[in-house]
Amino acid sequence: MKLTEEASKVLERSMQMNSIDETDRSEIFQLVDRMPDSRVILYKNVVSNPIGDLPRYSIHIRIQHMLTFVTFLTLAFTGLPIAFIDHVWAVPMNNLVGGIDVSRIIHRTLAAVMIFSMLYHIIYIAYTTLLLIIAGRFELQRSIIPILKDVRDFNHDMLYFAGRRTQRPEMDKFMYKQKIHYIAAAFGNLVMVISGSSFIFPEFWAAILPSGIASYFQEMMRLSHPHEALLALLVIAFWHWYNVHLAPGRFPMQWTFLTGKITREHQIEEHFLEYLRNLVELPEERAYLQNLLDARELTPESIEEMKTVEETP
Amino acid sequence: MFERKITGFILFLVILMQSDLACAFEDDSGCLLCHKYPKMGRIDEKGVKRSYYVMPGVFSSTVHRNVPCTDCHNYIKQLPHKAVKTGVSCNTECHSIKNPATGKNFSHESIYDKFKGSVHGREKIEKGLDSDKPYCITCHTNPIYNPDESEPPKRIVDRCVVCHEDRKFVTNWYKHTSRRIREVKRSPAEIVQLCSNCHSDESLLKRHVKAAKDEDRELGSKFSIAVESYNESFHGKVTKYGFTKAANCLDCHAKEENYYMNVHDIQASRNPASPMHTSNKVETCRKCHTHADENYVSLDPHPTSKKGDNPFRYYANIIYSWVGDIVIVLLISMALIETIGRRRDGACWYMRKGSSWWHRSSKSKDRIV
Repeated sequence: MKLTEEASKVLERSMQMNSIDETDRSEIFQLVDRMPDSRVILYKNVVSNPIGDLPRYSIHIRIQHMLTFVTFLTLAFTGLPIAFIDHVWAVPMNNLVGGIDVSRIIHRTLAAVMIFSMLYHIIYIAYTTLLLIIAGRFELQRSIIPILKDVRDFNHDMLYFAGRRTQRPEMDKFMYKQKIHYIAAAFGNLVMVISGSSFIFPEFWAAILPSGIASYFQEMMRLSHPHEALLALLVIAFWHWYNVHLAPGRFPMQWTFLTGKITREHQIEEHFLEYLRNLVELPEERAYLQNLLDARELTPESIEEMKTVEETP
Repeated sequence: MFERKITGFILFLVILMQSDLACAFEDDSGCLLCHKYPKMGRIDEKGVKRSYYVMPGVFSSTVHRNVPCTDCHNYIKQLPHKAVKTGVSCNTECHSIKNPATGKNFSHESIYDKFKGSVHGREKIEKGLDSDKPYCITCHTNPIYNPDESEPPKRIVDRCVVCHEDRKFVTNWYKHTSRRIREVKRSPAEIVQLCSNCHSDESLLKRHVKAAKDEDRELGSKFSIAVESYNESFHGKVTKYGFTKAANCLDCHAKEENYYMNVHDIQASRNPASPMHTSNKVETCRKCHTHADENYVSLDPHPTSKKGDNPFRYYANIIYSWVGDIVIVLLISMALIETIGRRRDGACWYMRKGSSWWHRSSKSKDRIV
């Protein structure tokens, strides 16, 4: 495979940061040269463990996800019947958790847990980023921060799905969808915390805001809390759960949120640049790929050498 | 045989009726001679069916059970009586019951006067807009006050009658006192419902808004949306669920001190005597929101997204709804495009032998078997 300029840079940077010696360097280059030019051929032919092959999320990120996941759904379950009291499902749903006297305690307690989770995440991310910067290992494009490349990737990917490109874009550890989702979740979380606090501590917000703004702020918060909650719930139900559960190739679920690992085919398909780093950082992955290329007789020209596929029963 | 059964049943009903009468209040004036008949009534000039039937069993369990009929219906001087013009006024002095504290005849005069001075104040018989206002019996429907008047425990009565001798007196005294100690009153949700009976009556509200406009008279800015907007508020929603610590109508619109008297003295919020008057708002909000200040009282306790009431919120709500809808449509579209693309590329909804790529791809780049 002839790497693109972008992929070459990522590979070179990774090898520099990991102080790869000459032997390994030539091994990596040979391996890359042997890879099929079409990444499609590569990710369609690797064998993956459904619960994950390659490292992706640390235990801290998984705990933070779990805390946010559990608190968010329970907060929605206890909060929505109050905001949408006139709907037919509201009263039975509220009764299910023990009525208003119970649900308001659950809601406030879990709100505190969700805020803890948010702070835990911010501190963890800030701390690990700082360590990476100090160690000279921080790469902006490997982080969740959106860059211009994401817009290009989005455009490219949509064209691919529409059948107008032969390959998906070479994306990094976090692709455009994950960045959109992360920023939406971070923004939503902040809105929910601030608007929720304006319900519990309305005097506080009125006291610190200028007199002309206080009432407008409170009205915005009164609107924001239910609107944002409903939007978040719909985004989770129709998009996040689609991406991690329902999309072809992901069903019935990705195990990443539990195991912290991503499947090989998924990594190559959607996070190819991160897979190149995996080849640098994990000698065993190099060995696996070497064996695969040998066993399947894959070459850079594999497109023309396609054999028939087994029909699914 | 059948006739005998019917006769027996009628006899049984008559006995039942007699027993009901036997336990009823003391009818010294003989009012029940006529008013005991269930069909007693007439259709008035407006075509409304009016029943004059007194149910002894029900009346004997109301708070007025010890008051003879003619104490309130003091215009009845002879039997059969003449047509009643105005009926009972609740400030009538009661000649049979003495106020034990003052020794004077019992009367609702003081609270009646308070009510008359309030924004709801009216005479018993009113015409025009004032007839929409509540009279005493609009809110005070006797039976609701009685469920908690349970029978006293026998041991207590046994103890009291040692000195007070009369078992009936002790029982009544116990019921009277214990109910007031228990502070029986409407729940916040019931209070909201009570106020809503009139304040959410569309035709009533329209009548008053129109009249105020015609007469160029000031009306509260929230008058026509008071109930609707309260129900929209956080106070309203949790109260509807039965939460008792959030503010209900009376918590804000009636003065806190001397509560039972002042709930009868509701004033329009433009009246300086109202707890909702600009000069009193901070103090009123501080009853619950202890750190409330001038800024705080600018927060709207009756929020709506109506254009005429709050244009800012109206437009913000529209923008919020649109943004939400657009986001969802875009994301679902993205998911659909992705599904179509991935299916066309041969991705399956399951992983077999370590791969999801088992379908034939239309692009002829497939897994090698």
